[in-house]
Amino acid sequence: MIYLDSAATTLQKPPAVARAVSAAMGSMASPGRGGHRPAMLAAKTAFACRETAARLFHVSDPERVVFTFNATHALNIAIKSLVRPGDTVLISGFEHNAVTRPLAALEGVTVKVAAAPLFDPEAMVASFREQMTPEVSCVICTHVSNVFGYVLPIAHIAALCRERKVPLILDASQSAGCLPVHMEELGAAFIAMPGHKGLYGPQGTGLLLCGDCESVPLLEGGTGSLSQSPSMPEFLPDRLEAGTHNIPGIAGLLEGLRFVERTGTETIFRHELGLCRRAAQQLAALPGVRVFAGGAGESQGGVLSFVVEGMDCEELGAALGERGIAVRSGLHCAPLAHRTAATLESGTVRASFSAFNTPREADALARAVRGISSGKGLRSN
Amino acid sequence: MVYYLIVCRSLTYAQRTAAALERSGITAHILRSPKVISGEGCSHSVKVSERYLSESLVVLSRVNLTPKRVYIISSDGSYKEVRLL
Repeated sequence: MIYLDSAATTLQKPPAVARAVSAAMGSMASPGRGGHRPAMLAAKTAFACRETAARLFHVSDPERVVFTFNATHALNIAIKSLVRPGDTVLISGFEHNAVTRPLAALEGVTVKVAAAPLFDPEAMVASFREQMTPEVSCVICTHVSNVFGYVLPIAHIAALCRERKVPLILDASQSAGCLPVHMEELGAAFIAMPGHKGLYGPQGTGLLLCGDCESVPLLEGGTGSLSQSPSMPEFLPDRLEAGTHNIPGIAGLLEGLRFVERTGTETIFRHELGLCRRAAQQLAALPGVRVFAGGAGESQGGVLSFVVEGMDCEELGAALGERGIAVRSGLHCAPLAHRTAATLESGTVRASFSAFNTPREADALARAVRGISSGKGLRSN
Repeated sequence: MVYYLIVCRSLTYAQRTAAALERSGITAHILRSPKVISGEGCSHSVKVSERYLSESLVVLSRVNLTPKRVYIISSDGSYKEVRLL
């Protein structure tokens, strides 16, 4: 199996991740829920994970690193902390349903969309500048499109937010682990990220990095602190972490973070971008294949969408699956991004790379698409 | 040995406190606060030796970590709050 669906979940992980999960299952209990060795070992692991994440993402202190189940959970906390019914929110035209659905669930929220063509960062900044009018109370922006790998100009968008004093929520689902995500420089109110994609942790892990703004718990319950109070503690991370932690997941995430820190985000980004360009170049040479590629600049990460003329994207995805290549087809839970790129009707096939993919795998994808598309009556090279 | 307990608002805060002290060469041990001193319910404390208390408070002040309360464990096992000036 050639696995090219890392934008959903990375399947190949550093071996230390599974070892850590297994070891935690046999040795760790719940942090803060006892003074015994298994509880304290869990506490030590959780703290090491917070410290490593704080260092990697330049968060001022590890208390501002909150564990979540995934990026969607983190985004829900962030959105429900900052957005009130009746507010006006500005989002990019490439947001995932993890952003648009929580906003739709809040009564009377007006959502403005900063839309601009794919791989045109200047137009995107201009659109944000124009749309960030005084009634906008919050900006939510993805760092990298989960459909097209488009790297949005987040430093410029964050600067606009700081200048106009509008809190920013950054969705770093596709960038954490392969691009610099600098909490202090961006001055974001919240940054949400999954643990199971570019951070190589297990499913069921995620992080919410918290800035200076007030946060509202999504869940209430035990925290192992201030137990006599009927309310959640005011302090982080306890305020946002009700209930028992996913300690085996956190132990695995710690090893994933250590792998990213050791390898370097720059190295991982270069590797994934190289594979993406290699596949894009070969696919674009095939008749009837339309590739959404960012060109020579660095406005694209390791995510590549394409369509084959006359072929349903789901059928193409299934055909690739039968040939042992795992990709994802359809709308990728991001209909807004497809609307922005005018692919809502067709959907796309998405190949997404990780640090563990190889150039041969990128070549195999192009060969398989050539074989499938020629079998459908399209002329192959 | 006489010990002091630095009561912290949360486990993570206690871990930050202990890490700051350890970085300065002060042995610090995290434990659940005894019920009689935990105040509003469960909390965690950092235990340091008597001779390191003043140095510990200097270190913590330097890194902006504020103890919630400090107790001394008396020889009879009781806890007495220490007033910080």
